[in-house]
Amino acid sequence: MSMVVERSLKYLDERLGTSSLARATLRKVFPDHWSFLLGEIALFSLVVLIFTGTFLIFFYTPSIQEVVYDGPYAPLQGEHVSAAYDSVLRLSFEVRAGLLMRQTHHWAALVFVAAIVIHLCRIFFTGAFRRPREVNWLIGIGLLLLALGEGFTGYSLPDDLLSGVGLRIFYSVTLAIPVVGTWVTYLLFGGEFPAPDMISRLFVFHILLIPALLLALVFVHIAILVLQKHTQFPGHGRTERNVVGKRFWPEQTFKSVSLLLFVTAVLALLGGLAQINPVWQYGPFVAWNVTSPAQPDWYIGFLDGALRLGPPWDLTLWGFTISEVFWPAILFPGIAFGILTLWPWIERRFTRDRAEHHLLDRPRDTPVRTGIGAAGLMVFFIMFLEGGNDIFGVLLNVPVETITRILQWSLLIAPIVTFLVTHWICKGLSRTRLRPARINAGVRLSRTPDGGYETVSLDPAAADGERAPAPTGPHTG
Amino acid sequence: MTDSDQQGSEPVDVDRQTEHGPAGREMTGGQRRAERRAAVALAVAIVAGIGLFVVYFAGGQTQIEGVLFAIAFGGLGVSLGLWANHLLDAREVVEERHELSSGAAGRQAFEMALTEEVGPVLGRRSMLVKLLAGAGGALGLALLLPVLSLGPAPGRSLFVTPWARGKRVVDENGEPVTVDTVPEDGFLTVFPEGAEGAADAQALLIHVRPGSLRLPPERMAGVPEGTLVAYSKICTHAGCPVGLYRADNQSLICPCHQSQFDVADAGKPFFGPAARPLPQLPLGVDEEGVLVAQGDFTEPVGPAFWNRGRK
Repeated sequence: MSMVVERSLKYLDERLGTSSLARATLRKVFPDHWSFLLGEIALFSLVVLIFTGTFLIFFYTPSIQEVVYDGPYAPLQGEHVSAAYDSVLRLSFEVRAGLLMRQTHHWAALVFVAAIVIHLCRIFFTGAFRRPREVNWLIGIGLLLLALGEGFTGYSLPDDLLSGVGLRIFYSVTLAIPVVGTWVTYLLFGGEFPAPDMISRLFVFHILLIPALLLALVFVHIAILVLQKHTQFPGHGRTERNVVGKRFWPEQTFKSVSLLLFVTAVLALLGGLAQINPVWQYGPFVAWNVTSPAQPDWYIGFLDGALRLGPPWDLTLWGFTISEVFWPAILFPGIAFGILTLWPWIERRFTRDRAEHHLLDRPRDTPVRTGIGAAGLMVFFIMFLEGGNDIFGVLLNVPVETITRILQWSLLIAPIVTFLVTHWICKGLSRTRLRPARINAGVRLSRTPDGGYETVSLDPAAADGERAPAPTGPHTG
Repeated sequence: MTDSDQQGSEPVDVDRQTEHGPAGREMTGGQRRAERRAAVALAVAIVAGIGLFVVYFAGGQTQIEGVLFAIAFGGLGVSLGLWANHLLDAREVVEERHELSSGAAGRQAFEMALTEEVGPVLGRRSMLVKLLAGAGGALGLALLLPVLSLGPAPGRSLFVTPWARGKRVVDENGEPVTVDTVPEDGFLTVFPEGAEGAADAQALLIHVRPGSLRLPPERMAGVPEGTLVAYSKICTHAGCPVGLYRADNQSLICPCHQSQFDVADAGKPFFGPAARPLPQLPLGVDEEGVLVAQGDFTEPVGPAFWNRGRK
């Protein structure tokens, strides 16, 4: 090693004691499974979001000050628009690489939330939230909620007609909070909609408050992961007491950096080729105009669908009103995310399982949990579909009323059916004892001198005679 | 955070490499192929990187930039992926887990420290500790006060709009609206004169077919000619502008959540999530034939809020 490196390492170690820490990090062991990369995809999308987002901040004007658009986009020339909308058009049409950065940022946000949701599903269905990982489960749920908030505040910033109406709906939802709704709404928005400070406040939330919390929680999330070590699927030589996998350096590092580069490549490709959120087509926000059809970004779709499915029931008690918006947009998400948040404790109540778990469950082996998870996903999926009822109505040539009625009934029936079918499939799979095909890394097939074949176990435990050599290849044992 | 390894035993190396030999040995054919491919991928990434310079200084082009970025990042990714899968002396290792908790002894030691070191310091000054908590609480609440500056008190603002008795009805450009402006089966977004574009004042003036309105007499008095009826344009469900009008069954449809309101029947909702009718704007006609308001809307406009029933 060169003198300079050696001396700087010595300098740091003498002051910060970094060498043993760094060595331990390099030697850290990571179990290998494709589903363990889902969280990494979320993390790498976040990296892309931070870089592209920082670029966007330099060009964005968080103000609803009225200006006359005089840029190159002909259909809007001479229109009175807000400074925010104007700056987004300039960024898109006049700043070199501006549109690429903006679209990549938007795509990265969509992928970020998607990766978080799929990662959450992996954690749920494999029981990775069980002791000792309940704290990290809570942090993960917090990250999901922050990501939703970050996404919503972000796509509302351009002050276009589509997002402006979305903001109007969000305002109506906070207004529906019992007792304190009006006050909370006025504190949040700075007055009656559309309040002059609205956009600049969204900006503060989007680039400061939420990202700061998000990054802090990501740091803790990963720190706890490192401290507790990763879970692993059951397999040869893998026990509750060990971690079997590849080291951080070099295998995991190469793999993760490679994934980071692939994620970035895909997002850049989408950002360059796939148009997203063309705000110049929606037009500037005008309080008495509305787009039709109107769909939010995918991750808010379930809430918009819930609002469409909701029953027209408002309630007046002693002269006070509980809005019909309260049930689908406040009570439902409150209960759904409440159950999700408390799931590790809810499950423990029924299983009475307080033991530490580092080996993951396969979803089929826990049919009740898998069934409940699938039913929960079905609830969100139906609401997501209803969020596009007007589009499906046009595509299928069916009145939206019919689609809404069908989905309202589905909401009552489909989750139960989903639970029963999932439970039945899990039980069936468990009975057949089929195992997914996998290459058995713990066994070597070798030629014997007389021309036959034999398997030689490479597993230390098996070699010690504690366990019989396993059969090779895809197996059914 | 990585001191976890210090408690567990050192990871044990288990050489599970079967196809390729450990480092130092001759490269296999597969490895040579992988190395060649990785080299090609990196070369492609270099070319794409240079291409980005060319495109940027030539004026920029979103699609080409996106593709070149993807090729450059993708090429790097492919090369590292090949490296990871074929060129590393990949070894699976076993690391023992360490005990997560400090154990009963560790906890006891900490409890001792608490009772011996924290307790006496604070316990001796219990009055001061109580006052300290009180001061902290008072200051904490006081520090929250500036948050109240973020918004005005709601007051009556949600109950009133700029509409008032005698206000002339104008369109979004401030042009006065007369009894003849809107043809039968037509509709127009209107505002009070002087408050064009005010979000809470937006109303829809609809020219319905003669004799089709079913309103109580006192509401009918606010409908000039018996055919020019005006409702708030803000959906009573979630506040979107109720922008779609179907003349065939004289219904208003909110494009956001598909609430539908019966224009002939006092704006009552008949499908969708909205629970309350659209408030009506009582109109009259002045001597010039221009429509004027007879007052504010019949109810607070827009979505429900906690005290909307307490006027």
